[in-house]
Amino acid sequence: MTTGHANDTARAEAFKQHIAAGGKVEASDWMPGEYRHALIRFIEMHANSELMGVLPEREWIMRAPTLRRKLALTAKVQDEVGHAQLLYRLAEDLGKPRAQMMDDLLAGRTKFHNVFHYPTQSWADVGVIAWLVDAAAILSQKALLGTSYAPYARTMQRICWEESFHIKHGYDIVVTLAGGTAAQRALLQDALNRWWGPLMQMHGPPTPPEHDRDLTLWRIKTRGNEDLRRDFIATYVPRVWELGLALPDPALRRADNGSWEYSPPDWAELRTVVGNHGPRSAERLAFRRLNYEQGAWVRETMAGEQARTQTCGI
Amino acid sequence: MAAEPTVYEVFRREKPGAPMTHAGSVGAPSPDLALIYAREIFGRRGESDALWIAPRSAFQLLDDQDILRPVLDRSHRTVEGYRMRDKREQLLSQLETKR
Amino acid sequence: MALETPPATQERDHTRAALAELLLALADDEFVTGYANSEWTGIAPILEEDIAFSSLAQDELGHARLFYELLAELRGGAVSPDEIAYDRPPEGFRNAQLAERPRGDWAYSVSRQFLYDTADYVRLECLLGSRYTPLAQAAASVIREERYHLLHAHTWLARLAAGDTARERQHAAFTALWPDALGLFEPLPGEAALVESGIQPAPSAALCQRWLEQIEPMLRQLGLPWPFAQRAAGWEPLLAPHYGGRAGRHSREFAQLYDTITSVRRLEPGAQW
Repeated sequence: MTTGHANDTARAEAFKQHIAAGGKVEASDWMPGEYRHALIRFIEMHANSELMGVLPEREWIMRAPTLRRKLALTAKVQDEVGHAQLLYRLAEDLGKPRAQMMDDLLAGRTKFHNVFHYPTQSWADVGVIAWLVDAAAILSQKALLGTSYAPYARTMQRICWEESFHIKHGYDIVVTLAGGTAAQRALLQDALNRWWGPLMQMHGPPTPPEHDRDLTLWRIKTRGNEDLRRDFIATYVPRVWELGLALPDPALRRADNGSWEYSPPDWAELRTVVGNHGPRSAERLAFRRLNYEQGAWVRETMAGEQARTQTCGI
Repeated sequence: MAAEPTVYEVFRREKPGAPMTHAGSVGAPSPDLALIYAREIFGRRGESDALWIAPRSAFQLLDDQDILRPVLDRSHRTVEGYRMRDKREQLLSQLETKR
Repeated sequence: MALETPPATQERDHTRAALAELLLALADDEFVTGYANSEWTGIAPILEEDIAFSSLAQDELGHARLFYELLAELRGGAVSPDEIAYDRPPEGFRNAQLAERPRGDWAYSVSRQFLYDTADYVRLECLLGSRYTPLAQAAASVIREERYHLLHAHTWLARLAAGDTARERQHAAFTALWPDALGLFEPLPGEAALVESGIQPAPSAALCQRWLEQIEPMLRQLGLPWPFAQRAAGWEPLLAPHYGGRAGRHSREFAQLYDTITSVRRLEPGAQW
């Protein structure tokens, strides 16, 4: 909103009150430009994360060791592309074309989640990602079911429903490896050691609510970062420990009052990684860019045909 | 890209006899691909019994509350507009007195 | 074996071996095609297409599993479908070489999908009449899923033919694909026994003709390469088909693919995954 029109100011005020009172917004409703931009930024990063999140697991699609694992992993990665589609459509309807979102992602102008900047080194990573990264992600995603933007809430309902098998697929791999040979257990422990740090950083630093406008002003999300992390730890640490596995944080323990203590996550690492300077940031973006460029002729063909049929009035 | 893909709205029926509900939308460069993409996005798990797919531009939008929810009383066309219990009891007691 | 009339022992062993080869060829075609196509998951030119192509790959792997299960039953259940699929040397595979080529560009992949799925449909239609009941039943299930594959294949065939660059690439793809595609109809060792016993109701050569008759009008209408001459007996290829897959001979590319596919499993042979 740059007009500064008195009418718009009043409208924006009424809009904020509507949101504060728990009101919902539809795509066709009037909304302040600031809200629209906040939505696009938030949803676009979510979509980018789904799209980039495909790459680490995709590396194992060709190496999946049984027919069932092969089918499940392919279906899971496919679902993530499907979620990217659903989310990009939301952002498109808010006014940002898909091609521009792809350009911004590939040029590093927009971001994606920290966990997708790391390498995958063994089949155990596939299990740990599908179980724990997805579990952490689903906590954030469930917190979006109550978002003020109604189309986003409906999409999240669908996404959460679709994701339900992903975590089980991951847990199944983890439990199988945990009960497997010494070498398999070692692969699993090594994967956990590497993924725990990024997992602890995943929900982001604890931000004071007054600085988190997405949370307090626009109600795009409904839970704070630290709250989500604590929930994750409380649910999943006992489940990891019961499998006889260790987590690489000596401070990690449940206090007598039931709350969890843990070492502060490495926020400097998080900033570096999401700034596209993570261990695989450059490779993943380059791979995405390469494939996007190689497919350009297909998109041009389709766009050309669409233009042709439209001028024929079909 | 020269042209943005056309947006198609997709409706789905979960099982025979169920109502069609809005599922979401797909962008596609042609109607035949819109059909395939709708199947993929909203039916690849066997969660849909039927899909309806139409260009968004084919829909007319009506969400004007003044037109859809007139402000003045329309209680004559709702069940709640007829509170019969008290009225009936009043009549019955009148008849009782007369008898 | 659920054959209606059990043949004499020696003959039966021969037929049984031929049946095992047929099941393996069916399963391996789907397995290797499924692996090759699944590589597009996450990187297709259009997001939506990525999802569609992945669905096709998953269907194919599902079909492979079904055929491996039939084979496992035929072998008395001592070996699992996973063991059959993954724990063989590369020369144990019976897929046509068409399936094992790298995915190439999008035109190559969707053109291969067209040729493979139209051919597969003809083969499955024939097997609906198989006298080996489990196979006829499996074909009846699989063929229903193939209808969507045909829809996808036909849609892309027409789409690509409509654009200039796309058309050039499509031409190049068909030119490269023809010898491999004809390899799908390489007769199996023991095919005579299969046809005679009614396990495979028609010989591969007849199926190949049926397939060519079905796709010829479409391909010629779109002006795509058609390297065949019409003879009294049907379409005669003007190039040498790439045979060998049904006998376990594969390309160098397959050695790489095989290495990748089995890499995790070979880490701990015999372990649960």
